[in-house]
Amino acid sequence: MYVILVYDIEARRVGRMLKLCRQYLNWIQNSVFEGEITEVKLKELISRAKKFLVLEKDSIIIFKSRDEKWLEKQIVGCEKNKIETFL
Amino acid sequence: MPLTATHIAYYHLCRRKLWLFANGITMEHTSDLVADGRFIHENSYERRADKFSEVEIDGSKIDFYDAKNKVIHETKRSAAREVAHGWQVKYYIYLLKKSGIEGVSGKIEYPVFHQCTDVLLTQDDEIYIEKTIRNIEELTASPACPPKIEKKKCRYCSYFDFCWSEEY
Amino acid sequence: MKKTYYLFNAGRMSRKDNTLQFTPQDEEGKELPPKYIPIESVSDLYCYGALDANSALYNFLGKSQVAVHFFDYYEHYTGSFMPKDYLLAGKVQIEQTMHHVKKEKRMVLARLFIEGAAFNMLKNLRYYNNREKNVQPQIDSIEQFMEMLHGYTEVDELMGLEGNIRQCYYQAFETIIDEFTMGNRTKQPPSNEVNALISFGNMMCYSLCLGQIYHTQLNPTISFLHEPGARRYSLALDLAEIFKPLLVDRTIFTVLNKKQLQADDFRIELNRCIMKDAAKKTFVKAFEERINETIQHRSLKRSVSYKHLVKLECYKLSKHILGVETYKPFKTWW
Repeated sequence: MYVILVYDIEARRVGRMLKLCRQYLNWIQNSVFEGEITEVKLKELISRAKKFLVLEKDSIIIFKSRDEKWLEKQIVGCEKNKIETFL
Repeated sequence: MPLTATHIAYYHLCRRKLWLFANGITMEHTSDLVADGRFIHENSYERRADKFSEVEIDGSKIDFYDAKNKVIHETKRSAAREVAHGWQVKYYIYLLKKSGIEGVSGKIEYPVFHQCTDVLLTQDDEIYIEKTIRNIEELTASPACPPKIEKKKCRYCSYFDFCWSEEY
Repeated sequence: MKKTYYLFNAGRMSRKDNTLQFTPQDEEGKELPPKYIPIESVSDLYCYGALDANSALYNFLGKSQVAVHFFDYYEHYTGSFMPKDYLLAGKVQIEQTMHHVKKEKRMVLARLFIEGAAFNMLKNLRYYNNREKNVQPQIDSIEQFMEMLHGYTEVDELMGLEGNIRQCYYQAFETIIDEFTMGNRTKQPPSNEVNALISFGNMMCYSLCLGQIYHTQLNPTISFLHEPGARRYSLALDLAEIFKPLLVDRTIFTVLNKKQLQADDFRIELNRCIMKDAAKKTFVKAFEERINETIQHRSLKRSVSYKHLVKLECYKLSKHILGVETYKPFKTWW
């Protein structure tokens, strides 16, 4: 499964969310991550996030796609972080 | 390796899986379903962990044992495969009984479907379990791996690729 | 599916907030902005550039079951960091050892590895033979060699046979590859471009096989065709024999014939040919694409990647060792 995860989280919790997401997905720009992830790992991510989020104030939105190829991505301006396995 | 509830469950699912498992061929690491099961186990009923205890008895791990009410709680991912689940819990009750704890009952919970099933151990069950234990010991000690079962039942098994990879 | 990450740029890899942070360096050794690699997405790391790392990182990689394979400047494989075995099974260990120690058992497997390897080599040759590259003489000789397979009773005789087959096979490269000459197969050091590519590609295949073996109960140090000790993980050499024609050689033909790599991608030093960094990158990219190609598997009835075929090979080998099913080597069927 290929996902795009975006979040809108209060400043003092945002750092934790950033660190958590970095373990699972690729950062592409502020508050936006994307990448290949399994169903279970995504559940794990969400469940770990819920432990510190305040659900009345914070939000996460996840766009799911079965495969990266079903996702057309258009970048306007500068690409902040290119996802690559060749570093 | 001591005989565990996993052996009992696999015995009812697939003899070959039991034999492979007993001989050290484990596949959990490749299976998303197993990972999901573990996740559900770790994350459902989170507050329960404080009240109930994890009991290890003869190598079998009972996830949640409510010692006060003498109830074993077992969490399962799917609603299918009840036969194997039932025997797994009955085996726990049997083990507890063997160590002198009588009057225990079980509850299998399917958090995904918000369902649960109650399990009791009858005298006939006990006889059956003892016979099953002997069968399992014999089967796993045998050098011959049992044959494959019907392929359509294997689709979601973590041993699928192992069993069905062939060359023509 | 977890991914392989290839590190070409020099830099520092570290554990940061329970994930991986890579800080690349530019030519002057100045640090560039760090990149994060999601630990959950990593299956293994291939390291070609200078990597700076500490034990905290290796502890973390070990815990996350991530292997690291190292290659030096001359594109030699120099070694691997393998996390602690996590799937050891007593019975498989014992039976695998028995299949090595008992000569008749070992010969059975050694022959099968050669049979699989030769079949896949012939498949490549026939493919090009049908495309106006006349490699019929090599096909004929390899077929002749294969008739001797069952006459041999010693493993080193089989290794000799394997050597003869491969020599024949490599002769055909001269015809298959358009621009470059192959000459004799030279390994230490490789004398020209094609030899450099073969050495490099074979090492990639070896590491791939090792990575797949690691995720099964097989012991990578107990082999059948190769002598254990030929390299630390000699079972990976056995498996690689079968997959080199499909994964390495076809990739070499493609990158050379499509001119993705050309003469100026290589550098000739005194008596050796070296792939420039960009050439390594191009080849690894082509190799990575190759191993991720998929095929409809005939018995599993689902699509699997070439990489996964290596894992399936480990399963079949385990079944053979446990006496469940006689091993049949993978043979390209398409």
